[in-house]
Amino acid sequence: MGSSEVILSVKGLTASINGTPILKGVDLEVKAGEIHAIMGRNGSGKSTLSKVLAGHPAYEVTGGEVLFHGEDLLELEPEERARKGVFLAFQYPLEIPGVSNLDFLRASYNARRKEQGLEEVDAFDFDDVVEEKLDVVKMDAAFLNRSVNEGFSGGEKKRNEILQMALLEPSLGILDETDSGLDIDALRTVSEGVNQVANENNAMVLITHYQRLLDYIKPGFVHVMYDGRIIKTGGKELALELEEKGYDWIDEKLAAGVA
Amino acid sequence: MSASVQTLVNQPYKYGFVTDIETVKIPKGLNEEVVRLISAKKEEPEFMLDFRLKAYRKWLTMAEPDWAALGYPEIDYQDIVYYSAPKAQEKKQSLDEVDPALLETFEKLGLPLSEQKRLTNVAVDAVFDSVSIATTFRADLLKHGVVFCSISEAVKEYPELVQKYLGSVVPVGDNYFSALNAAVFSDGSFVYIPKGVKCPMELSTYFRINSADTGQFERTLIIAEDDSQVSYLEGCTAPMFDTNQLHAAVVELVALENADIKYSTVQNWYAGDENGVGGIYNFVTKRGLCKGKNSKISWTQVETGSAITWKYPGCVLVGDNSVGEFYSVALTNNCQEADTGTKMVHVGKNTRSTIISKGISAGRSSNSYRGLVKIGPNAEGARNYSQCDSMLIGDNAAANTFPYIQVQNPGAKVEHEASTSKIGEDQLFYLMQRGISMEDAVSMMISGFCKDVFNQLPMEFAVEADKLLSLKLEGAVG
Amino acid sequence: METVNLTSNSLSPEMQSNSDRVEKQSPAEKRAACLQQLLEISKTDGVAALSELQAHAAALASELAIPSTRDEDWRFTDLSKIVAAQFVAADGKASVSTDAIAGFVLPEARSSRIVFVDGVYNPELSDLSAADNVTVGNSDALATVSKHVAQLPGSEEVFTTLNTATFADVAVVHVAKKAIAETPLHLLFVSTGSNRISQPRCMVVAEASSQVSLIEDYVSLGSAQGGDGSGFSNAVTEIVVEANAQVEHSLIQREAMGSFHIGKTSVIQAQDSRYTNIAVQIGAALSRHNVETHHQGTQVETNLYGLALVAGEQLADTHSNIQYNHPHCQSDQLYKAIATDKGRSVFSGRVGVPKLAQQTSAAQLNRNLLLSNKARVDTKPQLEIIADDVKCSHGATVSQLEDDQVFYLQSRGIDRDSAQHLLIEAFAAEILLKLPVASLRETLTATVTQRTESAI
Ligand SMILES: Nc1ncnc2c1ncn2[C@@H]1O[C@H](COP(=O)(O)OP(=O)(O)O)[C@@H](O)[C@H]1O
Ligand SMILES: [Mg+2]
Repeated sequence: MGSSEVILSVKGLTASINGTPILKGVDLEVKAGEIHAIMGRNGSGKSTLSKVLAGHPAYEVTGGEVLFHGEDLLELEPEERARKGVFLAFQYPLEIPGVSNLDFLRASYNARRKEQGLEEVDAFDFDDVVEEKLDVVKMDAAFLNRSVNEGFSGGEKKRNEILQMALLEPSLGILDETDSGLDIDALRTVSEGVNQVANENNAMVLITHYQRLLDYIKPGFVHVMYDGRIIKTGGKELALELEEKGYDWIDEKLAAGVA
Repeated sequence: MSASVQTLVNQPYKYGFVTDIETVKIPKGLNEEVVRLISAKKEEPEFMLDFRLKAYRKWLTMAEPDWAALGYPEIDYQDIVYYSAPKAQEKKQSLDEVDPALLETFEKLGLPLSEQKRLTNVAVDAVFDSVSIATTFRADLLKHGVVFCSISEAVKEYPELVQKYLGSVVPVGDNYFSALNAAVFSDGSFVYIPKGVKCPMELSTYFRINSADTGQFERTLIIAEDDSQVSYLEGCTAPMFDTNQLHAAVVELVALENADIKYSTVQNWYAGDENGVGGIYNFVTKRGLCKGKNSKISWTQVETGSAITWKYPGCVLVGDNSVGEFYSVALTNNCQEADTGTKMVHVGKNTRSTIISKGISAGRSSNSYRGLVKIGPNAEGARNYSQCDSMLIGDNAAANTFPYIQVQNPGAKVEHEASTSKIGEDQLFYLMQRGISMEDAVSMMISGFCKDVFNQLPMEFAVEADKLLSLKLEGAVG
Repeated sequence: METVNLTSNSLSPEMQSNSDRVEKQSPAEKRAACLQQLLEISKTDGVAALSELQAHAAALASELAIPSTRDEDWRFTDLSKIVAAQFVAADGKASVSTDAIAGFVLPEARSSRIVFVDGVYNPELSDLSAADNVTVGNSDALATVSKHVAQLPGSEEVFTTLNTATFADVAVVHVAKKAIAETPLHLLFVSTGSNRISQPRCMVVAEASSQVSLIEDYVSLGSAQGGDGSGFSNAVTEIVVEANAQVEHSLIQREAMGSFHIGKTSVIQAQDSRYTNIAVQIGAALSRHNVETHHQGTQVETNLYGLALVAGEQLADTHSNIQYNHPHCQSDQLYKAIATDKGRSVFSGRVGVPKLAQQTSAAQLNRNLLLSNKARVDTKPQLEIIADDVKCSHGATVSQLEDDQVFYLQSRGIDRDSAQHLLIEAFAAEILLKLPVASLRETLTATVTQRTESAI
């Protein structure tokens, strides 16, 4: 493990929105073949971290560095990051009325292929590509003709995110609460999807609220985020401990640590 | 909303040039003498003068409406020129004799009129300020019995048709602006499709306002006899002035038994600048009468221009089994205001109507859908389906939906659906996070949103309309 | 033109003959008197652990009256038949045999069934041997969930207050954290008829990341079992859906045609939870279903579906209310009604989206199929949307069977009657297919077919 390639390296990252600091010095290193989980209370900055990594224009990076395969990620436009293999499964996937899921997936798939120096795929061949990936998330082909996420149930939206990830085969997948709001069957499907995409050459960062996800996807590392920092890192037993003792336990430990 | 959203919308208006050409104008102002003068200049028969005077007297008794969700400074009707024509205004039999400056103007507008360059499958009537300067393919069409000419010519050449149908769908006193139009209208197109004829090509009128102080009052009349069929398209542009010009048109369509009229509009009048200075006031009355059984009238409009639009193309469905349709995309940006929609009046049995309205509002603009569906007591089996979707771009635009439904027959079926959605930074970021560039993202969203309407446009124009919207919106999002 | 008999609210024969006094009552007084009388006859020992709460509700109820059609919430539903009717107390002692309810047992939930007779738990008729990963019981099982009873929004509504003041027992469903109840739970509420009024009550708590499917089922004993088709059920169900939990709730109201049914479903949903309600209203002369859900966190999903079938002179009224309070929530509503004969269907759907509930979406559709000229439908969408970044849609349709569609099927060799049945079944199927168990889908589809026979 120690020798495998570093995919993402975040050092001392600080970021703010509308002048309010949210990230207050995040350090995180993710290597090929690894699965990381980030847990933490509502409002601790998990989504902010994921959006900053993906390049959301509303956030201002005020310090620190982020390297992606050794390259400065913060320099790149959001679509460039995506094409190079940064994939964010959104906590709240957006609805895009009027744009068919199929057209969207193909535009996105071809953008990534072009970056990789591969030939773009026409509508006809794309049908076959997408057909195969639909199985990964057990989605019906009828989804493809609907507008992107429009009128989808919460579970369908989340599965659509995993479908996109399966299609784009990213080098780094960041899943922001993809397990929230899922029934047990959808949770299994989504987890299986993630397990299928994950391999020794890529890495996954799972942001979650609920330890239950980790019954299905086994992370090597569990981080606890607190007030814009990663304040604790451990194995998957840390997730169980958090679930059991709640975040107040962290508060107490912190208070004790300070005292 | 970040600045890039706004910059995408704010593309320069590319039709804003002025043609330098000598014109004959009558002095500003409106009174009975002006009405008589317009009629005299056009060498009209007696019945037309009567029609105009009746309308003028009616107009004097009416008050300007103020119910639409629009705000604009009071219009001084005495400060408008009611007649303006290029000097060499005699209509030429050959286009070679038309002033080259005019030909060049229309060529710049993407509408070559000359024999060599003109579109092969579209006949064009070109209207410049108050007069029609050329109509292509007139003779070819006449071989099929189809009359396509300016309304001025029709008044002289087909007086009995004009007298029978003019004002029969939109009575002179229908509303303030239609009365004004009836009094002073200068030109417009006339179409007559005889019984059993399917018009062999698309007909199209191109309206151009050139003078700064001229009002354009066009009048269009289309008559489709039994079992006939026609597709007609109008386009509109105007130069950029920092004053407002008034455009108050009236369009009347008459469809007899089994006739089918498709009327499309791509309206791109000058909209004023980003601060709302200048632009056209577009107050239009359009109505179709489905007089015969099984007749059909379909309105498709892409409204992107004008400072203010006030327009409700409607259908009066009198013939049993007749069909009315309204497909609309209205885009507003900056300070534009649009209040548009349709009126579907079901009179006959088993009449059907469909309304698909897509409103896009960006900048500080306001975009309202106002529609009436009225099912009369004898309209057994009538059906209406309405769908009104609004899309907001940015945080300062407004969208309103005012559906009015009146049902007087219990056997009728009326369906109404409405939705409002928003394109903002987050939607764009989502698409960009999937590797799609901002420009592609915007055009994907806009053409997706409008596709139900664009599908209704004649092919050549559907592509144009799609491009036009993307152009107008570039910079609005992001 | 009212007669003494119709307006008297009293059980006592002496009062019925006291025409002077009754005739002097104004309609408002009659409605107030009616409620007091319902309160009086419904009075039970209640549930010991909740006695304070019940006493408080009784005090509140003594100030209330049966609503009139001037009340906006009851504008289309006239309760004067309830005011005029005579009810007696349900003592909960009516004996009901296993055979009597055999027709209502769902094979898919045969051993995850709890039965209440006139609102009181009946252990002999219940079988909970296959109810997995869930605690099900009556008021003895209240324990930790008792703190939620009558605490949900809307508990001050008049019929809910009446229920709270008088319920004799509580059906309890408690799903622990992360527990997945794989087998659907059947909560069967049996009315025995004979003008008895009962106050069924149900408390459901689904803890974080848990999952459960409930079938709340209201039935009346058939004539062969001693039922006479009358009665009044005033039911209240409260559901607490905690974070990330999933509750699927089917509600079947198939009581006798001479009875009255007023039902309430009140739900609170914490963040990341999903609640789905599938309500089928086909019984009772007059029925009302109030369903309301209040969001208490982000990313909440609410789905409300319903089918009402009214024939004869039935009236079925559904009032839904979804109150958003947080961003990123979504709801979907589809309510359908089939009205035939002189049947009346009422739908009112309120969606409240305050300013802070940005980036939410709400869809509401109400479709009505009118099968006779005398049938009537009233529909009233109420969208109160203050947030500006939302996606809301609504639609309402009222239509008859389309001749063109019937003709099309006929032209393919299907006879006219079958064609009409097919189209009616297809209309109903969109809702019925959402039910979790096949036996209910089949039974209810057959009922729809049979009950719309007269229209064909
Ligand atoms: N637009 C904004 N302006 C100011 N503060 C914000 C904004 N968006 C998010 N925040 C704040 O940032 C903090 C972190 O939010 P977020 O990253 O979404 O947390 P998490 O995903 O861990 O729940 C929260 O306290 C939230 O209130
Ligand atoms: Mg978050």
